[in-house]
Amino acid sequence: MENLGALAVLLAFCLSIYAVLSSAVGALKKKPFLILSAERAVYSIWILLTLASGLLVYSLLTGDMRLAYVAGRTNHAMPTIYKFTAWWGGQEGSLLFWSWILSSYSAVVTWTNRRKFRQMMPWVIVVLMSTQCFFLILNAFVESPFQVLAVGKGIIAAEDGRGLSPLLQYWAMAIHPPMLYLGYVGFVVPFAFAMSSLITRQPGDAWIHTTRRWTIVTWLFQSCGIILGAGWAYAVLGWGGYWGWDPVENASLLPWITATAFLHSVMMQEKKGMMKVWNMALISATFLLCIFGTFLTRSGIVSSVHAFGVSAIGKYFVAFIAIGLGASVYLILSRLDYLKSEARLESVVSRESSFLFNNLILLASCFAVLWGTLFPVITEAIMGEKVSVGAPFFNRVNIPIGLFLLFLTGVGPLIAWRRSSLESLKRAFLWPSVAAVLLVAVLIVAGIRHFYALMSFGLCLFVAATIVSEFLKGSLAIAARNNMNLVRAMVELTHRNTRRYGGYIVHMGIVLMFVGFTGAAFNKDDTVEVGTGETFRLGKYEMKVREIQDGDTPNYMWQRAVVDISKGGEQIGTLRPERRIYKASQEPNSIVGIRRRLNEDLYLNFASMSQSSSDKAIIQAFVFPLVSWIWIGFGVLFAGSIICLIPPKVRLQYARTEVVGVVQKHAKVEK
Amino acid sequence: MRRLKSRLLLAALLAATLAPGSTPLQNPEVRRIGKKLGCQCGCQSSLTECNMLQCHFADPARAELLRMVDSGQSEAGILKAFVDRYGKAILREPPTEGFFLIGWVMPFVATAAGAVFLWWFVRRKLRPEAAAAPAAELSSEAYARYRDRIEKDLAKLD
Repeated sequence: MENLGALAVLLAFCLSIYAVLSSAVGALKKKPFLILSAERAVYSIWILLTLASGLLVYSLLTGDMRLAYVAGRTNHAMPTIYKFTAWWGGQEGSLLFWSWILSSYSAVVTWTNRRKFRQMMPWVIVVLMSTQCFFLILNAFVESPFQVLAVGKGIIAAEDGRGLSPLLQYWAMAIHPPMLYLGYVGFVVPFAFAMSSLITRQPGDAWIHTTRRWTIVTWLFQSCGIILGAGWAYAVLGWGGYWGWDPVENASLLPWITATAFLHSVMMQEKKGMMKVWNMALISATFLLCIFGTFLTRSGIVSSVHAFGVSAIGKYFVAFIAIGLGASVYLILSRLDYLKSEARLESVVSRESSFLFNNLILLASCFAVLWGTLFPVITEAIMGEKVSVGAPFFNRVNIPIGLFLLFLTGVGPLIAWRRSSLESLKRAFLWPSVAAVLLVAVLIVAGIRHFYALMSFGLCLFVAATIVSEFLKGSLAIAARNNMNLVRAMVELTHRNTRRYGGYIVHMGIVLMFVGFTGAAFNKDDTVEVGTGETFRLGKYEMKVREIQDGDTPNYMWQRAVVDISKGGEQIGTLRPERRIYKASQEPNSIVGIRRRLNEDLYLNFASMSQSSSDKAIIQAFVFPLVSWIWIGFGVLFAGSIICLIPPKVRLQYARTEVVGVVQKHAKVEK
Repeated sequence: MRRLKSRLLLAALLAATLAPGSTPLQNPEVRRIGKKLGCQCGCQSSLTECNMLQCHFADPARAELLRMVDSGQSEAGILKAFVDRYGKAILREPPTEGFFLIGWVMPFVATAAGAVFLWWFVRRKLRPEAAAAPAAELSSEAYARYRDRIEKDLAKLD
């Protein structure tokens, strides 16, 4: 069976080379049958990789311990769902998963565009299949998931496997990696369209129109992946954080940031025909950062909890990134004539320049994260001395940048295209600003002195107020004109321009998430040693350990503290933080007890038993204010993104106010 | 018998403490200073936040930290002692001196450079007549009326 799997991967690799060559030659020599043949190769690769993946999953589910991958990632006692998710739980399997997703995307793109973009599509296939070929090299020759455990010339089967890391045996972890991969891999598609539009010297924005929805969906997958990771860290790692600025976390954030910048700046190209070079650069950067992220996770170049361990595949990634970078830079530079801006800026105070600022700040945060991630590698190379760049650094650098971005989120959408008058700015921003200042004043009076927290709350209200006023203004007008109630009018307003109002809802989600992030400024924590019947306090909560239980399952042993929670003398609930030791791997894991509320979470972690008195448990207690708003905000962001994808009721014509000819004519008049 | 065996194993593993004697993390100062020091076990967390049982690094380091706090050492002294023993990598952020300063200033320098570039770009891309606002034409009544009209139309368009 493993031979069949390995053969399928090998065949897919050969076919990917064939697809690249046949598609390129077909396009250059204008041979439609070669292009058609390349398209069929794309479908065949999907079939082969589905077969290979199916075989791997079958081996995982049936516990075929002859395979090194199966023995290394599963054990017999593991629940079936985690045996399945072990597909992406290790280096080799997850690389195959990457390949499989890419082949699926490629097949979908090829199929849906089989009658469209006949000029561009062969080159789209070339880019997609080149990337596919790179990953298949890794699957077939470097990190094959079908290696068997061999002693001498015989194949042996391990009695039982080591099991999946217990930290990963959690529901969010089952779907977090696929979401991230769907995001990472998805950005290959807009990149492929961008590059093929350059190769074929397309003057228009066809690639942007075609890939807009694709990019939003991919961005949404990436967002889901990131937030699921955060939710997992919060619920599993036991220290209550949701973001640790770990290199691999940062790696997932980098392409997300550039993609966010891209989603904003494409609007400039669609509406005004500006920023063409910039959009090309952004989508290329997003693609390369996706590959870079995969490289960081795989190569072990920076130490990380998420890394798959030190591996020799780093150099392959470096080579691929270098080729990708070289090719995209060359293509952009050699096609500059086709990327000329069709319009000029008319005022510094305009939507156009607010987009420019938004891009600047997004890229600044991207750079800050990338810089912090790589700084230890740089210092070690230059100074020969290792330093750490951890959460304190990233928080210090990124909080001011993040707050400025939040400010722009409020300001940008309200500035008119082309130019904004002082009067209109005053109209739009007076009340939101007054509300924000009032809120800050009230918070100061209430005793809050944390500078960033005050700024953040003020800005959150400012942005929320601008968004609400935009909705109200539009829907009141519709309600009056069409005799509707306000809610109906809001739905109608959103439906008329889903992209704009969906975008506002996404911004609202971001605001709510910032409220949640800001809560971290007021975290409280304590660590106590308590025995059965003893009580301890944290903030308003009084906690009493009712009993300490223990037990055993085939997969793990557990010990649990049953803690009754009261507030103001009244019992409000019971939490059961648990500690597990997984038998196969002998690794521990916490199942924390969380009482989630909108204002704050009470979070208990059962750290271990005390040694000084063996009947006492060491409990870490935390109060995390407002943290639920991060998850709620994400829900809003998700809904907003979905709305952006719905076709608008009123087809908007992007009236390009200027075209190249007009600009040139204008220039002549000036002379 | 098997159940008993696993119970014993469980007890052995779970009874492992963060340090012999009292638990260092009970001390708020240990928790606070511990957040500035990175655990070196590979978990990427701080000393306070490392959640591994019997961590070979965090457990003794926390005990040491508690000893230093109890003996009344200052925070700066404690951090220096840790740096002397484990190197600069124990700190969770780069030192603010010498070459390492680059790590701190670079994000802001890059942002500022980006802003300067953007300013230059915006000036260059501005329409010539918008950059040098033609005062004479503005005073013309007809022109002003025309402009108002455009502004209104544009506001509607958006």
